[in-house]
Amino acid sequence: MSQSKAKSSRIALFWTQVKKNRQVYFLLLFGILWYAIFAYGPMYGLTLAFKQYRAVDGIFGSPWVGTQVFEYVFRDPAFMDSVIRTLWINAGRMIFQFPIPVILSLLLNEVRLGKSKKVLQSIFTFPHFLSWIIVSSIMLNVLGSQGVFNSFIKLMGGEPLSIIGNSNFFVPLLYITENWKSAGWSAIIYMAAIAGIDQEQYEAAEIDGASRLQRMIHITLPGIQVTVTVMFILAVGNLMTAGFDQVFNLSNPATATVAETLDMYIYRVTFQSASDFSFSTAVSLFKSVINFFLLVAADRLSKRFGGSGLFG
Amino acid sequence: MKTGTAILHKKRGLRDRFEVMDFIILVILVIWAIAIIIPFISVIAISFATPQEYLESKLLLFPTRPTLSNYETLFADGRILVGYRTTLIILLIGVPINMFLTTSVAYALSRGHFPLKKFFLYAILFTMLFNGGIVPLYLLMMELHLTNSIWSVILAYGVNTFYMIIMRSYFQSLPDSLIESAQLDGAGEWTILFRIILPLSMPIIATVTLFYSVDRWNEWFNAMIFLRSNNMIPLQLVLRSMVLEATAQRTMMASSAAISQSMFSDGLKMAAVIVTMLPIMCVFPFLQKYFVKGILIGAVKA
Repeated sequence: MSQSKAKSSRIALFWTQVKKNRQVYFLLLFGILWYAIFAYGPMYGLTLAFKQYRAVDGIFGSPWVGTQVFEYVFRDPAFMDSVIRTLWINAGRMIFQFPIPVILSLLLNEVRLGKSKKVLQSIFTFPHFLSWIIVSSIMLNVLGSQGVFNSFIKLMGGEPLSIIGNSNFFVPLLYITENWKSAGWSAIIYMAAIAGIDQEQYEAAEIDGASRLQRMIHITLPGIQVTVTVMFILAVGNLMTAGFDQVFNLSNPATATVAETLDMYIYRVTFQSASDFSFSTAVSLFKSVINFFLLVAADRLSKRFGGSGLFG
Repeated sequence: MKTGTAILHKKRGLRDRFEVMDFIILVILVIWAIAIIIPFISVIAISFATPQEYLESKLLLFPTRPTLSNYETLFADGRILVGYRTTLIILLIGVPINMFLTTSVAYALSRGHFPLKKFFLYAILFTMLFNGGIVPLYLLMMELHLTNSIWSVILAYGVNTFYMIIMRSYFQSLPDSLIESAQLDGAGEWTILFRIILPLSMPIIATVTLFYSVDRWNEWFNAMIFLRSNNMIPLQLVLRSMVLEATAQRTMMASSAAISQSMFSDGLKMAAVIVTMLPIMCVFPFLQKYFVKGILIGAVKA
């Protein structure tokens, strides 16, 4: 008797709290509606991976077929190839892309003329704000047979390189163009971390006779170590997703075999071949689940290394 | 104290002689900067060059006989204007919607305790970790009968959760007493948001508006999937189709007459590149500090 009384009073308290905050809920309403429809709607749509999609019945009405669709997915050799290719390309990014902004920030920090530092930084950050369509349009021209790059090589008396449409060069091209576009932007985070290092450490080291290089290695690098670790872990969290825009716009039929990452595969089976939406949803679900675990692991790890995780 | 030592350090640094190390670092950085600038100079030069000059010159960085003919052909084609119109519509309707949704959610979630707050917050944060992906979104748009409507592109990108968190943490940093005193005066939540919070939050509002505007300007993937009609193509996709078209032409034709034809199309392509990135180029120098501020607020949080 008294238990149900306590319960009902708790419900009453809940409702008075809700009523008191009704304007806050009204503020939330529009955003929550958007999330419900356009973020959670597609999540519900993932159930299609276990259904046979029929356009007339829609997502809700299509009949359940269990895990049959996944059997088809795993039977397609192009699927597993694309997964491995994605992981391989993005693991390469850890080696050929990840350190560049760190090095760039260390070098920029050593520039002692304030004005040239600012100009350099502006130049480095600008390309980040251009879309991959623009950047790839520029790169396809610049690195093409008539482009500046090959003109320069010819002027120096070398043999022109056929870079565009050459499948051997495709993956290095990804790393080079990504560095060209975004290394300067990524360096900003490390610059901020460097600015937070206690200046007295440098002065003490200077008095002790440490050289610039020694100060860089023994003070600056340890000073940004936490930031570097956290950024590295977050990059690992993006192993499955990084680079669709880039790959999509830089690839062409000649490089199709080396450019089919998982996202490219999903795009192809959904929008280019005879589309079987259950099939592509199953691939989507596979990707989302793997990606989820990578991100959660990244979040946990970055907290362990002193970062504040994905959400702050 | 700290600023004092920093000034001292700076002074001493300036008095130091220009070491070999300085020189090496500067050379590396200047080479990097040149590697970024040269492609832009080349693109600008080609867009103003005649096909003859492009063919003959060994290294074209400055056209000796600049011409506007590439730009004339580009605008005569008409697609670029359709692109500009579509992108401007998406931007002018989309960004206010982005800002309205983001600001209202960020403010509501920055308020003190209310029932289900944690639930809503985690439900929103969860979307950063897990999403349905493009296929269910496409089917959803079909079932809502939004495909081939500009609203599909506008609504598909409503709230960027990352920007929302940046904004929320800014709102949380404002003193509570402001809100409390306004509440004593009988102001409702919407009044507080618009009259008190927003005027105090102009730096973050400007930063997030800029982020959304650049995102909208550069948006193409959703449009490529959702929009089919030829008079509703955003600028980025117009550029993409022009680039692909020109590349296809070059591989198809091999005769010398065709080569000069394809060279000309290079000029047209590069003119299209310039026209597409011009707005970003123009605003970047003024807005750079906001972009940097934005990522730094984000970096402190993330």
